[in-house]
Amino acid sequence: MIAAIGLVIGIALGLIFEPSVPVGMQPYLPIAVVAALDAVFGGLRAFLDGIFDDKVFVISFVSNVSIAALIVYLGDQLGVGGQLSTGVIVVLGIRIFSNVAAIRRHVFHA
Amino acid sequence: MNAPRIPARDVAMPLLTRVMTDTMDEDYAYIAGRRAGQPTDSAANSTVRRPISLALAMVLALFGALLITAAIQTHRNKPGAERERAALVAQIHAGSAIVDRLRARTSNMQSEIQDLRDAVLRSTDRGQALDQHLQRLGVITGTAPVTGSGVQVTVDDAADSASGGKVLDVDLQVLVNGLWAVGAEAISINGHRLTTLTAIRVAGEAITVNYSPLTPPYVIDAIGNPDTMPADFLDTPAGQTWQELQANYGLQFSMVPADSLDLPGRTDVTLDFAQPGGGGS
Repeated sequence: MIAAIGLVIGIALGLIFEPSVPVGMQPYLPIAVVAALDAVFGGLRAFLDGIFDDKVFVISFVSNVSIAALIVYLGDQLGVGGQLSTGVIVVLGIRIFSNVAAIRRHVFHA
Repeated sequence: MNAPRIPARDVAMPLLTRVMTDTMDEDYAYIAGRRAGQPTDSAANSTVRRPISLALAMVLALFGALLITAAIQTHRNKPGAERERAALVAQIHAGSAIVDRLRARTSNMQSEIQDLRDAVLRSTDRGQALDQHLQRLGVITGTAPVTGSGVQVTVDDAADSASGGKVLDVDLQVLVNGLWAVGAEAISINGHRLTTLTAIRVAGEAITVNYSPLTPPYVIDAIGNPDTMPADFLDTPAGQTWQELQANYGLQFSMVPADSLDLPGRTDVTLDFAQPGGGGS
């Protein structure tokens, strides 16, 4: 419940204030969002598996987002930013798909 | 001694399989296992969970804000990128319009110069001879317009653009060389007369002749003997190359004799460094 309220508040805040992202951070925002999606789906699956833990979720979310952004930042500094972000997206994408598949099994019992 | 060591799971499992199977943070299972091992009393548990739940809500709020911000950012950037593109296209069009205007002006002035020169030269006998000499030189070098019979060659990219080939600068070079070889006396491509200073080359996506970009189809006018040129051309290496290009890449090629072709002169020819030499013949 409190999670849904938090999500709604966040979306509302984003819509109201429309924060503009500093130019230097713009390339990392999409990666951060994909990493966040991964953490959220992972948390949702853990919740349905009955092993959800707030603390783990918070830590995994924050670390996922910051590590994903950091990897891409490092890649940019080394000149392989594009390739690294592709790698990050591929791995996170596979994880998201598998997690959604597990969630689907829970929801539809199929 | 110990049983043979089983390699750690990280090592044994291929990377991709691991990515596919371990999709959840292992900490969930770890914490769950630890909690199952030593159950805490529910009162202590609830006091611990309260601030964490708030953190959970805050993190999810952050997630929502991130999501929306990224979406808004992307939408906001899109028209900007399109605007930039449109502005660049407009700049290119304006630039090429200026170039066209300047070129037209140059060629007007060149023909004016030619007219004035002709007028001066025609006033004396010696001048008339000089004028004829100049005309002949102009025809040979490509600075004077010429007219005569010849062949008109039309080549184009493959009709099926998905699988087919495009006409390259080397193809046009081969074609033009072949036409010279079978006795062409003057050649123009899409109205650009070939001179001793003409380069046929690729710049970006387009083939340029005399530094002007061309768009397909490429129409090559060649003045020469219309009866013999088409047949002779097929016997040259250039003709064979073009037959192969037609067969293998689907390039379009047609050569028709023409009774009267008008080729423009190239007026913007200037030599900055070359001086008449003293030696030689």
